Amino acid sequence: MILTVLRIMWLGLWRDRGALVLAFLFPPLLFVVFAEVFSGSTGEGLALNIALADQSQSGFSRQLIDSIETIDGFELSVLDLQGGLPAADDQLSDLVRRGAADAAIWVRAELSSDIDSDAPIVVIGDSSKALALAVVQGRLQGLLQQEFPALNVARAVTLVDILAGPYSPEQQQLLDEVLAEMEAEAATGEAMPEPVNSLIEPRMLQGATGVDDDGGISYYAGAVAILFLLFSAMQGAISLIDERSSGIVDRLLAGPGGAGVVVFGKGLFLNLQGLVQVSLIFALAWWVYGIDWFGKFDLWLVTAVLASANAAWLAMLTASLCATRQQAQTAAAFLVLILSAIGGSMMPRFLMPGWLRELGWLTPNAWAIEAWQGIFWRGQSWSELWLAWLVLGLTALLAMWLSLVLSTRYARA
Amino acid sequence: MSLSEPVVAALQDVRFDYPGQTVLAELDLELIRGECFGLLGPNGAGKSTLIKLLCGRLQPASGQILVNGQNPKLSAAARRSMGLVPQQVALYRHLSVLENLIAFAQLSGCRRSAARSAAKQTIRRCGLTSVAQRPVHELSGGWQRRANIACGVVHAPSLLVLDEPTVGVDLPARLEIEHLLAEMASNGMTILLISHDLDQVERLADRVGFLVRGAIEPIGSPAELLKRFFSGRFEWRVMLDQAPEAGVQQLLTDLGLEADPAAGPMHWLGAVHSDQQASQRMRKLEHVAVKEWRVRQPGLDALWRALFDQPGPGMNQPDVSGSSA
Repeated sequence: MILTVLRIMWLGLWRDRGALVLAFLFPPLLFVVFAEVFSGSTGEGLALNIALADQSQSGFSRQLIDSIETIDGFELSVLDLQGGLPAADDQLSDLVRRGAADAAIWVRAELSSDIDSDAPIVVIGDSSKALALAVVQGRLQGLLQQEFPALNVARAVTLVDILAGPYSPEQQQLLDEVLAEMEAEAATGEAMPEPVNSLIEPRMLQGATGVDDDGGISYYAGAVAILFLLFSAMQGAISLIDERSSGIVDRLLAGPGGAGVVVFGKGLFLNLQGLVQVSLIFALAWWVYGIDWFGKFDLWLVTAVLASANAAWLAMLTASLCATRQQAQTAAAFLVLILSAIGGSMMPRFLMPGWLRELGWLTPNAWAIEAWQGIFWRGQSWSELWLAWLVLGLTALLAMWLSLVLSTRYARA
Repeated sequence: MSLSEPVVAALQDVRFDYPGQTVLAELDLELIRGECFGLLGPNGAGKSTLIKLLCGRLQPASGQILVNGQNPKLSAAARRSMGLVPQQVALYRHLSVLENLIAFAQLSGCRRSAARSAAKQTIRRCGLTSVAQRPVHELSGGWQRRANIACGVVHAPSLLVLDEPTVGVDLPARLEIEHLLAEMASNGMTILLISHDLDQVERLADRVGFLVRGAIEPIGSPAELLKRFFSGRFEWRVMLDQAPEAGVQQLLTDLGLEADPAAGPMHWLGAVHSDQQASQRMRKLEHVAVKEWRVRQPGLDALWRALFDQPGPGMNQPDVSGSSA
């Protein structure tokens, strides 16, 4: 009898070809995507957008930049510094704060043995991407140790010189020989230098909204909000399939409203439901974590309406495309997981491999997260948010139109 | 119901094709105000397609469909004047009966206050008062079917399309629903009843039509059709104790009987003009172990078998004796 039940279940799956494909094709596909997404978190496949400005313009700094360009996972944009423009650190800070760069490297002075001078290299990061700053700093330290080992020793020698008095000519000659030898060993990859912390100054930027550090709340509030918008909208949209099989849709299609009313009404409900869900998440973020929800309410509301509309209509489109509940459930789970993983709801996108990061722009998650983070962290205004809104709005409209077309086709079937 | 009543729905020379298959061809039908029309036909004959055409979901390849004088495909008013009761219990199961009725009244174009009032009135009319506040999923099959019909009539349509309205319902509940439908028709509502329960159609329908090869033919009252097809013949059924041997089979065949494949090898059917003729023939079966035999007026089931070439009944065969005994 148990075998009979097994056989019945198998035949049910085998004959629902859509569900069959979804059940066995999606899991490995999902694995591949997740493997790619999370491989970035180990640092191996990391691809960071780094802005760089060379204010020193020395032979040494050019050599340093050439070496930085060889670092795996750094996509370097070198700023062309010209007179009359804002200072290099302002430009770099602006790029980092706007999210155009994950971190920035500012070579502000000649690399010298003068220990009284400021660190010649400044690494600028955003506290919402603190990991990026740590990664850049670490990689840069490694580079300096490997490529320029004598530099740190020279600075230490200068310190000894100040504290213990000047070196004798013999000592100085010996020291110069050792430093030359270290340079030579570094060139052959044999150097074992000490840390070079004093050469690099990390500088963490705070949010533009006056909040020093929100602990990533502005990011995760948006990330979780869009994840649950998609999740609950998909569950709600599946009721369309239930109503088809129960005959309710047939009854409504025979009425004055027709197919459009059924689909549009459901989509609108899911949109409103999503708006309430997002409100609850951000209300909590305001209450517990102090996010400036009321101060930015107008911008938040536009983003929330568009993000929930997007989720609602993507869900309605998914349900319209599926013939059975089983198909819809599998497809919905797959879509939510994939969109959320690639779009940054599970892990910040800057930690993903470059191609996946670009692919993320095809998800509503990425645009919604960008918009909300732009509002609450970067202090962006209407003029800077319009692109995200346009993408979210147009995608929602396209999905709505396709859902309505498909429902009309169903009515004629 | 009188044929002088206005036509509520008319299908004229309607043709509809699915790719590679003509489903309806030159189909004509007029539904008169206050009549209950029974539409019969085997599975796949095109009954569901006809419903979809009537509801404006499909566009015919040619011909014209009018509901209250308007094309239901184009006119929301025409669709509003119709109610559909699908074969399934098409209700929101988590809502109460009253909430369902209000919802479907609004979805049919009623304003909220009017919908509430119409729902309450329909609840009384359909005898649903005792279960009005209960969620649909808590109700028995009979109550659910009754509520299903109520949702189809809550907006007071002039045409009600019922697709198997009592399938899976026990006899008392079925009879109550039939009584309700008869009352609705007597109040002027036109009913298009699609059912495989031929006894029910015979009891309820003023006229019946058989959907055969894409057209509705024959059409008429059940009595007219039975008279036209069987011209006073009766159905003669013989039930044997056991499956007959070859010799007995030959004897039964000679008497004009044919095995009824639907009932099994011990059931044989034929046609006679009277009880006496049947009694006379039964004497020839004295040596055969007959369990029971009876003669009855043929019903729509006999007509069904005759029209759709089901072997066995003999009712569409010439009478073997040629005359009454």
